[in-house]
Amino acid sequence: MPLSVVVQITVSGALMGLVYALIAYGFQLTYATSKSLNFGQGELVMVSAFVSLTLLGTGLPYALVVPLGILFGAGLGMLVERVAVRLALQQKSEGWILLTIIVGLFLLSFAENVFGRDDRPFPTPIPSDPIHIFGVDVTWVDISVAVGVLTIMALVEVFKRRTLLGKAFEAVSADRDAAELMGISATRTVTLSYALSGAVAAVAGILVSPITTVGPTMAAALVLKAFSVAVVAGLESGFGVVLVGLILGALEGLASLYIGSGWRETPGLILLILALAVRPTGLFGKAIIRKV
Amino acid sequence: MLTVTDLHAGYGLSEVLVGTSLEVKPGTIVALIGANGAGKTTAMRAISGTLSPTRGEVRLGGSRVDGLGAARIARLGLAHAPEGRKVFGPLSTEDNLLLGAFRWLPHFFGFHRDAKQALARVYDLFPRLAERRTQLAGTLSGGEQQMLAIGRALMARPKIMLLDEPSMGLAPVIVQEVFRTIRRLKAEGMTMLLVEQFASAALGVADHVYVMERGRVAVSGTPDDLRRDPRVLAAYLG
Amino acid sequence: MLKRLILVRGAEIALFVVLGALPLAVDSPYVLGLLTLLAIYGVVLIGLDVTVGYLGQVNLAQVAMMGLGAYLAGIAATRYGVGIPLAALLSGLLCTAVGALLALPALRLEGPQFALATLSFTALCATALNELEWLTNGAQGLSITRPPLLGHALDARDFFWLCTAILALVWLAMRNLLSSQWGRAFEALRDSPIATDAMGVGTYRHKVAGFAFGSGLGGVAGALYAFNFGYLQPQTFVYELTVILLLGVVLGGRKSLWGAVVGAVLVALLPNLLSNHVLFRAFSGIAFALALVAGARALLRRQADAFRALAPIAATLTLVVGSFLASNTEDWRKAIFALLLFSVVVGLPQGLMGFASAALARLFRVAPPELPPPALLDAVLPARAPDGSVLLQLDALSCHFGGVRAVDGVDLTVKAGAIHGLIGPNGSGKSTLVNVVSGLYAPTSGELRLRGAPLPRGKPVAAAKAGIARTFQNLQLFGGMTALENVMVALRGAWRLPLPLVLLGLGRIEELRGRAGALALLELVGLRGEARTRATDLTYGSQRFLEIARALARRPELLILDEPAAGLAKPDVHRLLEIIRRVKERGITTVLIEHHMDVVSELCETVTVLDGGKVIAEGTPAQIKRDAKVITAYLGAAEPDAAGAGQEIDRC
Repeated sequence: MPLSVVVQITVSGALMGLVYALIAYGFQLTYATSKSLNFGQGELVMVSAFVSLTLLGTGLPYALVVPLGILFGAGLGMLVERVAVRLALQQKSEGWILLTIIVGLFLLSFAENVFGRDDRPFPTPIPSDPIHIFGVDVTWVDISVAVGVLTIMALVEVFKRRTLLGKAFEAVSADRDAAELMGISATRTVTLSYALSGAVAAVAGILVSPITTVGPTMAAALVLKAFSVAVVAGLESGFGVVLVGLILGALEGLASLYIGSGWRETPGLILLILALAVRPTGLFGKAIIRKV
Repeated sequence: MLTVTDLHAGYGLSEVLVGTSLEVKPGTIVALIGANGAGKTTAMRAISGTLSPTRGEVRLGGSRVDGLGAARIARLGLAHAPEGRKVFGPLSTEDNLLLGAFRWLPHFFGFHRDAKQALARVYDLFPRLAERRTQLAGTLSGGEQQMLAIGRALMARPKIMLLDEPSMGLAPVIVQEVFRTIRRLKAEGMTMLLVEQFASAALGVADHVYVMERGRVAVSGTPDDLRRDPRVLAAYLG
Repeated sequence: MLKRLILVRGAEIALFVVLGALPLAVDSPYVLGLLTLLAIYGVVLIGLDVTVGYLGQVNLAQVAMMGLGAYLAGIAATRYGVGIPLAALLSGLLCTAVGALLALPALRLEGPQFALATLSFTALCATALNELEWLTNGAQGLSITRPPLLGHALDARDFFWLCTAILALVWLAMRNLLSSQWGRAFEALRDSPIATDAMGVGTYRHKVAGFAFGSGLGGVAGALYAFNFGYLQPQTFVYELTVILLLGVVLGGRKSLWGAVVGAVLVALLPNLLSNHVLFRAFSGIAFALALVAGARALLRRQADAFRALAPIAATLTLVVGSFLASNTEDWRKAIFALLLFSVVVGLPQGLMGFASAALARLFRVAPPELPPPALLDAVLPARAPDGSVLLQLDALSCHFGGVRAVDGVDLTVKAGAIHGLIGPNGSGKSTLVNVVSGLYAPTSGELRLRGAPLPRGKPVAAAKAGIARTFQNLQLFGGMTALENVMVALRGAWRLPLPLVLLGLGRIEELRGRAGALALLELVGLRGEARTRATDLTYGSQRFLEIARALARRPELLILDEPAAGLAKPDVHRLLEIIRRVKERGITTVLIEHHMDVVSELCETVTVLDGGKVIAEGTPAQIKRDAKVITAYLGAAEPDAAGAGQEIDRC
C-alpha cells in the first residue's frame, strides 16, 4: 500500500472524526446540565439534514438555509427534551435512556417514509475540487468541516466558561434544587441545553452531508461513533473530544483500508468497550469521589 | 412582608404540614423552632417553592406566591439559604456568589460590573470568602460554606431571607460566628425567617418565635414569653 | 399458607399445563408456530428482565446474545452433528461467558455508559456475523438442520414441547434464584450500592453475574430459535429486534416472570398484528381506549401530571389515525413500535403484570408465610471476652483529595472491647477517617491494621470481609426491602450454597436459618415486631436502629457507628444508649462518631478529638471537655448544646 494512500485515508478519516467529535460535543452539552443525553441524536442530525435539503430544493439560497436548518435542529432538540427527557428528570430516574431511544426510532421511521429510504446528494456552494496540501488531497468542503466544527466548539466553550448562563448550566447539574432557589429555572436551563445540542447536531448534519450524502442510514452510522468518542474522551471532557475524534476517524479509515470496509465501525466499538474497562469516566474525565 | 396562612404540604402520601400559619414583619427576625419531624424544613420548602403546598396561602409583600415554583418565587424577592448549605461544589466561591445574583444580571453576559457592588458588600461581611474567592466551593469548610450560602442569598438583594438550620453540622465555635453575622444583618435591616434546632441561639436573635409541633404552630410569642413558658423550657431549652 | 400455595403455584402450574395442552386441542401449524415462538421469546425475556427489571439497566445486547447462541448452535448441529441438548448448553455457556466479559467493563459505570456499551456490542456482533462469511455464510444466510433428540426426530409438536419444557425449567430456576440471597442482593444493590458493598455483598460481582446469567438465557433461546426456523440471517439480530424485546419486557411488566411471558405473547404476535389491517386497527383502537381511560382516571384522581396522562393518549391516537391513513403498515413498523413503547413507558411503567398484581393483591389477600422463632443470639452474634489488646491501629494515616488534606497524619489506637469516641467539627476529617477504615476511600499514606494484619485499602467489600461493619451518617438502608430482609442480606456466612444448587431450589434450609438469625438481631435492637415492615415505612428512629442491626449481622470485629444519634428524639436516644451498651456486653469493639456530647460522655471510655484532619486531643470524656484546644476548636465558650448542633437530618 503506497504511503500516499495511507496518509490520504488517514487524513480523510480524521476529518470525519471531527464530525463525530462535534456530535459528541452535543452530548456533552446536555450531560452538563442534566446528566442525560439523547440516544436518538443521530436521527436529529439526519432529519435536520433532510429538512435543510428540502429547503434547498425549494430554491432558497444556501446562506439562508443554514441558519434555518440550525433553528430547526434547535426546535427538534427542544421537542426531544419536552417529550423524552423532562418526565424522567422530574422523577430523578434514567428513563430518558429508553425514551430518547424511542423518539429516535420514531424519527427514523418518519424520515424513511417522508423523505425516502435512498441516500440523496446534498448540494453545497463550496467548491469540491481538491487542493493539494502536503501531498494530501483535501477539498474546500473538508476544510469547511474542520473550520465549522472547531468554530462551533470554541463558541460554546466560551459560553460555558465566560458567561453566567454557562455557569448556571453547571450549577443546575451540581444541585438542581439549590439552583432553583437562586431563581435559575432548572427546566428552562435543561431545555436550552437540548436546544443547543440540537442546533449543534444540525450543524454537523449540514457540514457532513455534502461528503456522505443524506439518508436514513446516516443516523445509525454516525451516532455509534459519536458515542464512542464521547465515552472514550469522557462526558465532561470539553475539547478532549476533538483529539479522540481525530484518532478514531483515522483508525476507522485504516481499518477499512487494511481489513475491509465491513469492519469500518469496529475500532470505535472496541475502543468504547476498552475505555470503559480501563477508565470509565473517559480519558479526559474527572474522577468521581463518593460522598457518604 | 411574609404571611403564611393555613399551609398544608407533604411528601407523596404523607402530609407533614397540617395548617401552619405565621407572619414575618419587615425588618424583623422570626425564628421557627421545634423538634425533628415537627415540619420546620418542610415549611421552609413550601414557602420558598421547592415543595408545592397542597392547601393554604403564602403571601410575599401582599401578593400570593404559593404554587409558583421556586425559581419564580426567588425572582420575586425571596432568598432561601437551604438546609445543608447546598453550595455548588464544582464552581468557585465567586461564581457561587455571582449565581446568587442571577436574576439581576443580563443572562447572557453576566459580567461583574453590575454585581460588583453586591459582591463587595458580601466580601466585607465575610472577609474569609474574599480570601477564598477562586477556591472551589466544595473544598471549603462547613463554616465557610455556611457563610457562602448566606452571602449567596444576600447577592439576590432579597426582600426576605430564609435561613434553614444555619448551625447544622457546625462546631459550636463556628455557630457563634454565624449568629454574630445574623445579628449584624439584622442591624442593617434585613428581614429574616430563621429555622433552627439550636433553640437558645435562635431565641437570642429573634424578635418573634414560633414553636412547631407535629406540622403546625403550637406556641407563638416573643423570646422572653417563651423563656418564661415552662413547656418550652422543658422541651427545647433544658 | 395453603391458600398462598394454591393461588401462586397453582397459577404457574395451570399456565404450563394449558400451554402444553394447547397443541392437542388446536390442530393448526400456524398456532403451533406462534406458541413455539412464544416459548422461545419467554426465555429471552426472562433473561432480559434480569438486567432491565432487577438491575434496572437498559440492556441492548440481548439480541446479540440470541444471535450468537443461534449461530453457535446452528453451526455446531449442521457441521459437527451436535445434538440439541448439547448445542443449547454450549450456546448458553458461550453467552454466559461473553456476557461476563462484556459486563466487566460495561458495568463499571451504569446508566447511559452501560446502554452504550451494550449497543456497541450488538453492532459489533452484527458486523462480525455479517463479515465472517467463512463461518456464518454472512448475509446469504445459513441453513440449519434440526438434529434428532435422543435418536427421535422431532416434529413441530415435539419441538414445541421441548421449548415449553425448557421455559418451565428456566422459570423454576429463576424463581429459586430470586427468592434466595441473590434476589435480595439484586434489590439491595439498586437501593444502595454503597451499603451493599459495606455489608460485604459485592455490588459489582452481582451485577456482572446477573448480566451474564441473563445473557446465557438469551443464548439458549437463540439456539432454540435456530432449530425452530432452520434458517439464520444476521439481519434478524439487529437494533429493531432490541426495541421489540424491550417493548415485551416493559409492557409485560418488569421484575416479573409472568410479565416476561405476557410480553412474549405480544412479541410473538406482533408481526401478524402488523400485516393484518383489520387486526391492527382493532388493536390500536383498544390501546387508545385504554390510554384514554387510564389518563382520565389519573387526571381526575390527581395521581399524575398532565404530561403523563396525556402523552400516551396522544401516542395511541397517532397509532389509530395512522392505522387508517397508512396504506402499508409494514413501512411504518419502527414508528409503530416506538409509539407503543412510548405509551407503555410513560403511561403504564409498571407494565400489565404490575398493574394486574396490584389489582389481584387487593382481591386475594394472602398472608405472608409465618416467621420462625428467632435464633439464639449467641449463634448469630457470639460474645467475646474483651482482652484489652489492640484491635485497630492507625499510624500516620493521611487522605488527601486534590489540595484538601482531609486526614493529615492521624495516629489512633482502639482497644478490643472498648467504645471509642471520635468527635470534632465538621470538616475535621472524622467521616473521611471512618470512610478510609471501612474501605470506601483509599488512604494516601499511612498504615492501618486490624489485629495486627493490614486492612484492605480502598476496597469496601474486602474491608467488610476483614471484619469492619458500619452505619452511615445519612441513612443507607435498602428502602424497598423489609427490616428482616435488610438484616438478612448482611448476615455473614449464612449464604454458602453454590449457585447451581440455588437454581435447583435447595436453598430452603439456608433461608429459614437466615430468617431466624436475622430475627434475633432485630430483637436485640427492639425491632422484632417490625420485621415485615418496609424499611422506608419505619419511623426515623427505627431506621437508625435497623442500620445497627444490619451492621451487627456482619459479626464484626469492629463496629463503626457514624452519628447514630443524629436527629433522634430524647426517648430514642435512650434506646440507642441501651443498644450500644448491649453491643458492648457482647465484647464487640465500637468506634462512635457523635456530636451529642452527652451520648459520648455516657458511653465512651476514650475519646479522640479531630480538627483539620489532625488529632488535637485524646483522653476520657471528662478530660477532653476541659482541654483548652478542644474548647477553642469545637465546644466553644458557651454551654455545649444539649439538643445537639450538627445533626444531618434529611427531613423535618
